[in-house]
Amino acid sequence: MLPLPPSLLRSVRGFAAAAGLLLLSGCDLNFWRMDGHQSTMVVEGQVAREQLQVFHVTVWVTMVIFVIVGSVLAYATVKFKARSAADEHAPTPPQGHGNPLIELGLIGASVLALVIIAVPTLKAIWSTYDVPEAEAKDAYEINATGYQWWFRFEYPSEQAALDANAKAPLVSANELVIPAGRPIRIHLRTVDVIHSFWVPKLAGKVDMIPNRANHLWLRADKPGYYWGQCAEYCGDSHAVMRFRVVALAPREFNDWLDQQLQTARNVTPTAADANRPKAQPVALRAFKPNEAGITDKFENEPLKAWLEKQAPEKGEDAALIAQGKELFLGKATCSQCHTVRGHGAAGVLGPDLTHVGARSTIAAGLIENNREQLHRWIHDPGAVKPGNKMAKGYAERGLKLTLAEEHALVAYLESLK
Amino acid sequence: MELAKSVHLTAAGTPVQPKLLAHPHAKTGLMGWLTTVDHKKIGFLYGVFALFFFLVGGFEALLIRAQLMVPNNNVLTAQQYNTMFTMHGTTMIFLAVMPLSAAFFNFIMPLQIGARDVAFPRLNAFSLWTFVAGAIILNIGWFLPAATHGAPDGSWVGYAPITSKQFISKHSIDFWVMGLQLLGVASIAASLNFIVTIINMRAPGMTMMRLPVFTWMTLVTAFLIVLSFPAITIALVELMMDRNFGTGFFEVSMGGMPILWQHLFWVFGHPEVYILILPAMGIVSEILPTFSRKPLFGYPIVVFSGACIGFLGFAVWSHHMFTTGMGTVATAAFALATMAIAVPTGVKIFNWIGTLWGGHLMIRTPMLFALGFVWMFMIGGFSGVMHSAAPADAQQQDSYFVVAHFHYVLIGGSIFALLAGIQYWFPLMFGRKVSEFWGKLSFWVIFVGFNATFFPMHFLGLNGMPRRTFTYDPNLGWNTANFIATIGAFTLGVGIAIYFAVMIYTYFKGEKAKQDEWDGRTLEWSLPVPPPEYNYRVIPKVHARDAFWYEKQNKEEIAAERAAGAKAEEAHGGIHMPHGSIWPFVASMGSLIGAIGFTAFDPVPGPGFGPKLIISLVGATILVIGIYFWALEGNEGYHIHVDEDGNVTEDHQH
Repeated sequence: MLPLPPSLLRSVRGFAAAAGLLLLSGCDLNFWRMDGHQSTMVVEGQVAREQLQVFHVTVWVTMVIFVIVGSVLAYATVKFKARSAADEHAPTPPQGHGNPLIELGLIGASVLALVIIAVPTLKAIWSTYDVPEAEAKDAYEINATGYQWWFRFEYPSEQAALDANAKAPLVSANELVIPAGRPIRIHLRTVDVIHSFWVPKLAGKVDMIPNRANHLWLRADKPGYYWGQCAEYCGDSHAVMRFRVVALAPREFNDWLDQQLQTARNVTPTAADANRPKAQPVALRAFKPNEAGITDKFENEPLKAWLEKQAPEKGEDAALIAQGKELFLGKATCSQCHTVRGHGAAGVLGPDLTHVGARSTIAAGLIENNREQLHRWIHDPGAVKPGNKMAKGYAERGLKLTLAEEHALVAYLESLK
Repeated sequence: MELAKSVHLTAAGTPVQPKLLAHPHAKTGLMGWLTTVDHKKIGFLYGVFALFFFLVGGFEALLIRAQLMVPNNNVLTAQQYNTMFTMHGTTMIFLAVMPLSAAFFNFIMPLQIGARDVAFPRLNAFSLWTFVAGAIILNIGWFLPAATHGAPDGSWVGYAPITSKQFISKHSIDFWVMGLQLLGVASIAASLNFIVTIINMRAPGMTMMRLPVFTWMTLVTAFLIVLSFPAITIALVELMMDRNFGTGFFEVSMGGMPILWQHLFWVFGHPEVYILILPAMGIVSEILPTFSRKPLFGYPIVVFSGACIGFLGFAVWSHHMFTTGMGTVATAAFALATMAIAVPTGVKIFNWIGTLWGGHLMIRTPMLFALGFVWMFMIGGFSGVMHSAAPADAQQQDSYFVVAHFHYVLIGGSIFALLAGIQYWFPLMFGRKVSEFWGKLSFWVIFVGFNATFFPMHFLGLNGMPRRTFTYDPNLGWNTANFIATIGAFTLGVGIAIYFAVMIYTYFKGEKAKQDEWDGRTLEWSLPVPPPEYNYRVIPKVHARDAFWYEKQNKEEIAAERAAGAKAEEAHGGIHMPHGSIWPFVASMGSLIGAIGFTAFDPVPGPGFGPKLIISLVGATILVIGIYFWALEGNEGYHIHVDEDGNVTEDHQH
């Protein structure tokens, strides 16, 4: 394990070049603004805001102390520095041992400064812990469960159709859709190791710990699209265990629910579809290991892009989709781990895929949900997400798919809106 | 190491002893080192091993920074990265900072209290070699197949249940458990030794309130180790039982509680933070007065606040667990306790500034590092106060903000002070001193590199970058800060390289130092450089807090006192010294062999003897033999006579 990977040598060689290039190419020197997608400083939720306010108090108090103490220290260092060898050997300064009054005064001042921090801290410990009493009745409940390495979201109050007759609480994965403006209480569970649920712009993290019933609450100020990430080391792919939170206006949220509660969409090929000439499947391009799988689509107006994603793709190939569905349930053995309500797939080890086509990301918020990335993911999941169970499942079952089969599966998954 | 010019005279009438139990007399060569019980040689060895592992941990850190230099990088795989940060943390804490502190405890503390050795010299050797055994076990996985063994990869906190067999079935975690267990044995044995030494072996007149602050901090640290390591020992035993014998302490399917691990770990882990920083504070509290040519400002309050930090250190562990859903009352209690600990910490900073005030500051390299310490520790302390506000911490916990915080405290704090300590005591320990130019150059490169690495991490954390992640996407606004941090890390690496090169050069060829190079204030500076094996020809009488400063002001009184003391000692048979012994080394190697057997092999299915059982038993047997002969050889010593001209003779009769 120790021998240097060749890529390190490449990195070192590229180091000087990269240094100049990055700085010259105007790479973002405004990092001190801290306004990224996972910023804790530019927040859009009530809980995150209260936490930020406490943080600001701590920053101001410590800054003031730092400036005062630092000035005295700097002054003492400059003022009492020996200027010459002769100075160093000058008669020794008075050998005083200190002054108790100064000491007590400084201790008192420190305690006072801490009280300034303690008061808002205590207040916020209570207010960020649970939904305010007055609004408790209005709180929307969600169960979030951590898996290595993805999140399962359950809506206990929404009954989704399993098939024509049976119903069960709605289950989704990796994209948590919530009503904006309403307090949300999220119950945090895990099936394996410790994970941590963190959407920095909406609320600080709370851990998902085995054998422990944790919860957090949050409220999104307005409709929006938020980045989240697991914040507790949980094994090989901890770094790529991510998710999204989508806050919708009440009407849009209800529309989304209506769509989600239905069974998976069926695309039935007509005779005409079957006879249409088949498009030649495009081979998957080579990906660098650990290559980013995102485009700019969700950068500027992510919520708009997400809403567009809810509608069926244009130019669907119904025959290909039907072939993909058959593979999903049969040869590719996807249904052993994944659920697609209404299509006879009821596996529970992996994320529910009933409406996977309507999500903006796959592989737990890691790569964008588009044709190329879906193909990349199902072609070799282990290369995208080291150590994940889907890759292990492929290996155990000796699963090999042809290019055409992979295309059919991708078409099917994309159709699941 | 040239310790003393001694004429080795084997007396004709050496008592007849069984060959096996003959006391080793070697002072040089391999056997000299393996059998030494001299606290200075043991301290030197601690320092050498610690500095070696400091470089190993630093190399691991550079690999981590190389991987994070740009988004979606591939210097390391996810698995390698996880191993790297696990071992970086474990190595730096247990194999670099702690043993480097122990090096100073060993070398300096007995000199500061006017003693000739520690209370239990052979136990001291046992601590050293058991530490080496633990270090080997922790790192042995690097050299074994990564698929079945590998180096530990469960992070340095090893949160259950990821360390269970279900999630990491290979032996990497077994190495981690057993390695830490052995290091715990070494630390507790050493600490008991230091406590007994400080309580019992102070020179006449060295009252507790005259102890040098470094010795005081040694005492507090030793108590912290003795009281906190049992908690992690229990946690590690439970984890070992879970992994090897099917118990369910952390096994949810058997009703286990993973959260229990976190409590046990941090009941140890938070005092551990103070175990790492208190010795550093002690060193700085020696350096600032010496180079200000003034006594420490408010000595009693500095000592009291050190002890206070030690006590409060046991009452704040759950501030590492603010996001585990402890509930409001527990969270509030730990938040307030954490704020409270900032008071005695702040007091120390005030007193250091008070020490500078009105002094004649000689800005030598050790002083520069000590001043750097005060600045960096202040920044780390302030970000610590920010964490004590639990609601704010909910955002910062496990983010790069925390990474920035504890590196300011542990590098800007502990490491700066330890680097200062090396240069401060170098003239005493080796009779040579580091060139001012190269020493200061290394300081400034380290200082700039350190801040360039870790200051941007505050921004990264507040911008939502979680720690322990091997990769990140380019669209999160983390690219620039990560890039700067990596350049800073390599700069820091260059600074450390300069420091080491200068230190090694000085050891062999540096300028000769004179006795009392810095015009010191504490007793160790009254010794010739390097100090002789027996330290003090005459055990000094202590008349004041800065004992040596007083001696220098009252030379005649002291000279008369020394002459009388020399006569009295010779009347009692000369300077009594402990014998060397190989048995502590044998016992430690027994535990090393046993630990390898227990951790590196799978049990054979069914009953019967497999390599796991056999090697474990062989190791245990060697351990028992070592301890048995250690007890059997007895604890008598020999005498050294120093005549008027400083000629040394050894007398091995009792």
